[in-house]
Amino acid sequence: MVYVVITGAMLRGRIKRSSGNIFKLHKKYGIYFGAFILGSFIYGLWIRLQHGESILLSVHGRLGLVILLIVALQVIPGLTLKNRATYRGLHKIMGYALAPILIIDASWGLYNGVIAGTKNLVLLHSISGGLAALFLTWIILEIRYPTKRSLSRARVASYVTVFLVTAGCWIAGGYNYLTSYGFQVKPVILEGPYPWAHDIVMELKEHIFVFLPIIALALSVTLSTLDRDIFLDDTKSRRALTMIAYLALFIVLLMFLMGAVISNAGQTGTEALK
Amino acid sequence: MKESAISIASATIAIFLTGWVIIAHDLSPDFKQSLASLTGNHWMSVSVIAIVLFILSLELLIGFKSARRFLRVYDISLWSTSLVAVTLIMVLGILAVLITQFLSH
Repeated sequence: MVYVVITGAMLRGRIKRSSGNIFKLHKKYGIYFGAFILGSFIYGLWIRLQHGESILLSVHGRLGLVILLIVALQVIPGLTLKNRATYRGLHKIMGYALAPILIIDASWGLYNGVIAGTKNLVLLHSISGGLAALFLTWIILEIRYPTKRSLSRARVASYVTVFLVTAGCWIAGGYNYLTSYGFQVKPVILEGPYPWAHDIVMELKEHIFVFLPIIALALSVTLSTLDRDIFLDDTKSRRALTMIAYLALFIVLLMFLMGAVISNAGQTGTEALK
Repeated sequence: MKESAISIASATIAIFLTGWVIIAHDLSPDFKQSLASLTGNHWMSVSVIAIVLFILSLELLIGFKSARRFLRVYDISLWSTSLVAVTLIMVLGILAVLITQFLSH
């Protein structure tokens, strides 16, 4: 998805072009991405049918169908239409809309899969993390392929990242820990077959998630105070900023992975104690 | 802006000190208890400490030119590398302490 968005943005001139035939690459990545989405949807359909359930009963399934339709509308006209000029505007809008929908659906699916419940706060926490990862990727792309408007766009993306990381990940996650996890999930994990999921993974997660808002804030403040000419001309500064954005993205993805391990251990513990 | 790494330097200092607070509170149950008594939960106290340290470092670096010069906050490459290194070392340090404690129990 990232490659499709990057090559699409290069074709539109939003970010600086790299060498090679970008259109061909965009088409190739689009086909791969479409095949992956189709495969995921068929797999999901197969799993639901095994349980005798309709795929459209769940929000995850409905969003999956929307994603599949958007992908089909993106790929098929792109391959069949000879004059794509009239279709270009809609193609661009749907392309940019696809990324957040996919993140929301993937977060939703992940937590439905591992928690098998409807914990709204955990879902909000998870979606915030997924969107923060998306915005950090956006910041990285703006820094790596700078144009005159890249700095202002990277600033806006960094403000949203700080908000998502602080409100969605830090506060919502912390509130869930205090009101739900400590009383409901933690005892189950400790009694279950994987107590290390709390003693090591959760303890590590609740400690290092303190670092994330500080890193995001430092990145945002630096982007806000950086001079546009330095941003455009000084490769050293841009490399330094990319490094910090990569660090923040790495921690967000690590949080995601640890969250999945903890949720899975909670579910396994619940089943073991039945 | 010549001293664009002020917030990165402050983040590095805050994460370094907070990392040590976390390791200390994992090793000392009394310290953990005293942190928990501050706000009701130890991680909330650690969060507050991290924010206070970040703001204090930021104010210190903004207020004192000598501190900025001594810490070379004009060098954005130096401080971004330090931030990455300090964060990863602290994450690995905390992980090592938690694994040791788990295995010793």
